[in-house]
Amino acid sequence: MKQYGMIIDLEKCIGCHACAVACKAEWEVPADQGRNWVQRLGPETTADGLASTYYPGLCNHCDQPACVPVCPADPVKMEFKDPKSGAVKVMEVAATWKDPFDGTVQIDKNRCLGCGACAEACPYGARYVNPNLGEEGKADKCSFCVERTALGLAPACVQTCLAGARIFGDLNDPDSEVARYVKRGAIRLESDAVKIGPNVRYYGKKRDLALLVASCAPKSMPQASLRRIWLARMFKPVVKGVKKETLFDLFG
Amino acid sequence: MGIKISRRKFLQTASLAAAALPLSRLARAAEPGLVKKPVAAPGSFTGTETRYGGMCEMCFWRCQLTGKVRDGRLVKLEGNPKSLENGSSICARGNAGIQLLYDPDRLKYPLKNVGERGAPKWKRISWAEALDEAAERLKVIQKKHGPHSVALFPHGASAFYPLQYFEFTGTPNISEASFYQCRGVRDMAYMSTFGFAPNEDVDMANAKVIFLVGTHLGENVHVSHLKQYLKGLENGAKLVVLDPRFSAAASKADIWVPIKPGTDTAFLQAVMKRLLDTGKYDQEFVAKSCTGFDQFKEAMAHATPEWAAKTCDVPKAQLLQVADLLGANLPNVAVHPGRHTTWYGNDFQRSRAQACLTALLGAYAVPGGLIRPKGVKLGAASWGHGVFAQDCDLSKFWPFHPPGTPTDAIRETTLTAKPYPIKAWIAWGQNPIQTIPDQARTIAALKKVDFVMVTDIMPMDITMYADILLPEKTYLERYDYVKTGMQWDPAAKPQQFVAARMPLVEPLFEGRDSVWIVNELAKRLGHGDKIPVASIEEHVDKRLAPAGLSIAKLKALEGIFTQDGVSPYAPAGKREFEFDTESGKVELFSEQIDSNDFAGSPAYVPTAEVPAGYARLVYGRSPVHSFSRTQNNIWLHHEMPENPLWINDRVAAKAGLKDGDRITMVNQDGVKSRNSTVLKVTPGIRPDTVYLAHGYGSMNPELTVGKDQGIDDQSLITLFGIDRETGATGMRTSFVKVVKDGRTLEMMV
Repeated sequence: MKQYGMIIDLEKCIGCHACAVACKAEWEVPADQGRNWVQRLGPETTADGLASTYYPGLCNHCDQPACVPVCPADPVKMEFKDPKSGAVKVMEVAATWKDPFDGTVQIDKNRCLGCGACAEACPYGARYVNPNLGEEGKADKCSFCVERTALGLAPACVQTCLAGARIFGDLNDPDSEVARYVKRGAIRLESDAVKIGPNVRYYGKKRDLALLVASCAPKSMPQASLRRIWLARMFKPVVKGVKKETLFDLFG
Repeated sequence: MGIKISRRKFLQTASLAAAALPLSRLARAAEPGLVKKPVAAPGSFTGTETRYGGMCEMCFWRCQLTGKVRDGRLVKLEGNPKSLENGSSICARGNAGIQLLYDPDRLKYPLKNVGERGAPKWKRISWAEALDEAAERLKVIQKKHGPHSVALFPHGASAFYPLQYFEFTGTPNISEASFYQCRGVRDMAYMSTFGFAPNEDVDMANAKVIFLVGTHLGENVHVSHLKQYLKGLENGAKLVVLDPRFSAAASKADIWVPIKPGTDTAFLQAVMKRLLDTGKYDQEFVAKSCTGFDQFKEAMAHATPEWAAKTCDVPKAQLLQVADLLGANLPNVAVHPGRHTTWYGNDFQRSRAQACLTALLGAYAVPGGLIRPKGVKLGAASWGHGVFAQDCDLSKFWPFHPPGTPTDAIRETTLTAKPYPIKAWIAWGQNPIQTIPDQARTIAALKKVDFVMVTDIMPMDITMYADILLPEKTYLERYDYVKTGMQWDPAAKPQQFVAARMPLVEPLFEGRDSVWIVNELAKRLGHGDKIPVASIEEHVDKRLAPAGLSIAKLKALEGIFTQDGVSPYAPAGKREFEFDTESGKVELFSEQIDSNDFAGSPAYVPTAEVPAGYARLVYGRSPVHSFSRTQNNIWLHHEMPENPLWINDRVAAKAGLKDGDRITMVNQDGVKSRNSTVLKVTPGIRPDTVYLAHGYGSMNPELTVGKDQGIDDQSLITLFGIDRETGATGMRTSFVKVVKDGRTLEMMV
């Protein structure tokens, strides 16, 4: 099984924001939103001297994504296929899930309700509701550009990065560049309160990583997520086991 | 049908009743025949055609592009993978080019100002009407006051043809911001030293040390240049940065020298003296390829480390550390010549010092050094040379001025009519309100002249002052620039390329290209028989012809022609070179400069000290903007909506200021900033200095995104320097106090 991930090499990143703008064009993201973003940090004094760096953020495609269990859309059975081995796995998923074969977190925009629960649940603020999609908006976020990579293209942000500071690949493949970065000490942006296995990692000088973690690691799981989780739990058993036809009959 | 409930209400109601919503949606989705908005963006790779031949002009580096077009609409710009420079990378501005193309605020039609200059009322007119009126008014002025009574302020690739035309008509009063407020000082200083303009052709990718004098790479973004810089760092080059601020480059530096603004030349002198004293200079290169060594050595003799440390307010040990690092790694040292170099009005001498340091280190035509890339020879197609009336040259007081006339000389002549009247101002892609210091004087000049014509793409602050306002095509809708060069990494397999800008989409509205506009004007001004090319396409084809190329051939090559090139490095061991200077050598001491009563070897000319209670206003680049040009771009605006004022944390504490405070500023002449901005309190700037990104705070109300966003640094620069050798405008010479809640605060160091 793969786990796609991304390394942001802050020694290379020069904070040009090309990644954020390329993504906007690629995925028609509204001007005031972003599937990814760049924040400039510092200059601030750290234990290792004056530091200034960047926080290029995006969906972390977490090991335990907080956004997935809160989705109140009625679950359906979905078949996942490993394009490499041809292996098939069927899972019951709401409108967002973690892919069992590549580890990415994806959204079915057809079934997404646009309620925004997932956006509230994400401690990284990586999701938003795009009001231009569907009738009342759809949740949107970085997909790791799996639609592009399936065609052999690099993710839009990776392709445009002049610095080669964004490296995409399979963290579970020990020979991949991303895995090598992990061995060299690329860190996860997390805190004691928020440890949900982000698969975007940051590499850089000690002082820059210290500044990044101090300024940008989420300090708590969003409060709102508790309400969403409760709502989802109340809702799911009702749907489970009820056939679609019956639902249409009920509400149609 | 199910229950209809709004998303907001659903979010507000945590109850089982609300949970029924998804089911209703599901039912509705299944209903046949219902027209729905798309639920997902298809991605730029779906249903699009890839068009080649684009060339960016969001800045002036001119990366090569491809465009993804769906149903005639440009949906995405990408780097042309064939590019030897940028490859498939482009920067934020390049990516945001589509938001310029489709900016609803774009200039769409020729307009006539039926209101006042500065408070325009626009009347849409036809091209014929606009050109007739412009030609008529120019004709009257030229006839009565001579052709030199017309001044031109050009900028960008499209302004080249009009520049040549107006020069041909007989006016020397042409002032390019790219020279007089940017690179001109540097180019003239290197011309006087090495005999050529250096551009930024310094081989950072293969250097052992990269030495940046105020250059803030990372905030200043040019794709292939930053690739070189980053490759150098990745290969282990030591980075030394002189900057009063902990800039993007300083944050990557091995040595950050927080130098006192305006004293860089003193630092450079002391470094050179140290190299001379320790013998750590390229003695063979100096002996074989340089001249004026003895006078040069004498001119550096005073520059002891103690003197420089005190003058520059830096530790002596750090200065010596820098000098020794440079000396130990010669000749593979990239002494960056800088780009925007018009800082204090003492800048020619500083640029000369950078050039002389380069020579002393022998850092020429070697890996890491100053190099001269070889491209493909191109043709020309231009208006003939102009004949100027006797004594109309205002630039004669500045013997080392770059081409054209110093901006301030044109403005003062306009205001005083001495030695002769200037009666028409034409801006072509330049926004002199935000490029020239002392806006009140610029505006006074604009109000004084008989005629103002502006050609642009967007409403800018200058367009508010136009009588006739002409819309140009954007760079995505037109042919114009032809670029040649080599592969971005000088050490890689030598290659050359030729690319020409070609339109990626059909033009919108009534924009025209500059060749068409100028030709139409020329016909009306009686120069119809002298027109050198009938169209921009012909112009491009004539440029391409000597390379055996044409627009058609380039199109077949996906926009870029490549061939084997030449290494920019001299054969190993070659230390004797001939240069295109008077002496044929690198001029460490220049007879020519000396004979004009300037210092023949780099001299330190102090700039005015910061008055008590003030801080020096220093400005620089934002990576997401090209000056004021891009302020209305909605994507770029989102990335950096305003320009925070950097202030030292201790100074802020004494003034009772906190990070995030909303502030305005007032300068030494009592001029107040029109807008406010946010305060960035940081230890990463000297106490005597505050810093803003340049280009923000435009005032044109037609800029529905960019107007009044952030502070216009230029509005506060009323005290400025004029470089004595070149006439260029030094602009880091004004001083400010921060104003918060109506209280003007002392900047206590």
